[in-house]
Amino acid sequence: MAANATPDRRSMEQVIANGLYLGAQYALVALGLTLIFALMNVLNFAHGQMYVLGGFITYWVYGRLGLPFVVALAASAVTLAAVGAAVEVLLFRTVIRRSVREESTMLLAAGIAYFLDAVILLLFGEKQRGVPKIVMGVFDWDNLIMPYDRILVGGLAVVFIVAFMLFMQYSRPGRAMRALAQDRVAAQLMGVQVDRYSMIGFALGALLAGVVGGLLAAITGVNSGIGGPISIKAFLMVMIGGAGVVGGAIAGGFVLGMLESVGLTVLHSYGDITYLVIFAGLMVFLSIRPQGLMGKPWG
Amino acid sequence: MSPLLQLSNVELYYDRVYALKRVSLDLNEGETVALIGANGAGKSSILRAITGLRRIRSGSIEFRGERIDGMAPDAIVKLGIAMVPEGRRVFPHMSVRDNLLMGAFARRDAAGIRATLEGVLHRFPRLRERYRQAAGTMSGGEQQMLVIGRALMARPTLLLLDEPSLGIAPKLVQDIARSIVAINRDERVSVLLVEQNSRMALRISERAYALSTGSVALSGASAELLADERVKQLYLGGEL
Repeated sequence: MAANATPDRRSMEQVIANGLYLGAQYALVALGLTLIFALMNVLNFAHGQMYVLGGFITYWVYGRLGLPFVVALAASAVTLAAVGAAVEVLLFRTVIRRSVREESTMLLAAGIAYFLDAVILLLFGEKQRGVPKIVMGVFDWDNLIMPYDRILVGGLAVVFIVAFMLFMQYSRPGRAMRALAQDRVAAQLMGVQVDRYSMIGFALGALLAGVVGGLLAAITGVNSGIGGPISIKAFLMVMIGGAGVVGGAIAGGFVLGMLESVGLTVLHSYGDITYLVIFAGLMVFLSIRPQGLMGKPWG
Repeated sequence: MSPLLQLSNVELYYDRVYALKRVSLDLNEGETVALIGANGAGKSSILRAITGLRRIRSGSIEFRGERIDGMAPDAIVKLGIAMVPEGRRVFPHMSVRDNLLMGAFARRDAAGIRATLEGVLHRFPRLRERYRQAAGTMSGGEQQMLVIGRALMARPTLLLLDEPSLGIAPKLVQDIARSIVAINRDERVSVLLVEQNSRMALRISERAYALSTGSVALSGASAELLADERVKQLYLGGEL
């Protein structure tokens, strides 16, 4: 059992592999957030809670009901897409129609976050929940140790990222959403139905959060308290990469994953200060480059 | 025969301020009609009302004899009305190709879209050269060609052009004017042209309406308006 090599003995390869694994998950979370932002100019503070909900659905379907992991992941995706669509149609759409102030949607998003927190607590309790390993075994090669389930989950995250990008680039709805993000009025003049594609975009963003929740439930488990922290990480990534840009979300995800992995190794002997250092670094970075690495309206 | 497009007593308000006051105008199939007038006279408001971007308060807008006021923009596009908006409004981070394909968004006939695309690239060879380039990186004149091509991708019956010469190098204005004439002639597209460059607009149109503070001040054959003393003073003064 060498899955948890002691941090001080971690090799360079190990740190990079951990960073890539984390980065792929994070990038997927950030993509969902940035899609919703680019499309509707809404900061979805409830993104982390949507992730947690996805995690619990996978826990329930795979861990409790004993159905295959793929089925559980699909259940997380479908449920969250439905939640996202409902939230857009019933809540954001009405608020945006009635109020031109941006704070209104921010407050609404914050409200939804607390609401989902409460619902999750009510349905699934406050316990940390884990599921049986999806694959057994550990990849052990010289300086690099990686359990197979992590490799699988990391690989799946990369597949989802690529699928999302191809969808946005080459499909008709993808093109419509990019057009809507770049110029709302011009898109309307081309015949894009703003209401329909706002709903699709929100559903897709929530779906991505739910899928990552499901993926990570299989590795680290899930508990009802991590929604807020995940939202904060998602905002960090989007700020690092640049808001509303696909490439930025991916870059931000991998940068944060790598920083976390390096930090946990290098700063280990100083205690649990990785995120303290990351936040401090981010403040300096944003004061120099407020638009992030790739900040522009849409990639 | 009833006109292709008919506005009757259209009134449009932005909050409490009126932008259009009892505007009536019409456009027949195959015609090029110009709307001229100073900044803020209501020219663009008329186009926004036709495309459904703005709700009118009273009056009616009919296209092929059917009421279209109150319809959503995407439904109006499907009827065959395409607009080239003011300030071009390309999708800056999308390629020329994707911009053109967005123009055909309301259509579902893949083979027909390919044929129209080929026609547009033939009309504007520049767009073929820039096919994979991001639209935002092109010059103003090229972007203007792109948005006209994008509007043609919808294969419209009626083309609305909002200030196509604005911010374009004078040499290119001639090119734009020529392509508007050619499109009207070759594609049997009717054109409603909004222009601050009144001289150009009157030269390439059959009829024109001159607007002033939200209502029609003068209308008639463009050639006559071009020679009219009042028009010369009010709308053509200073130019040339």
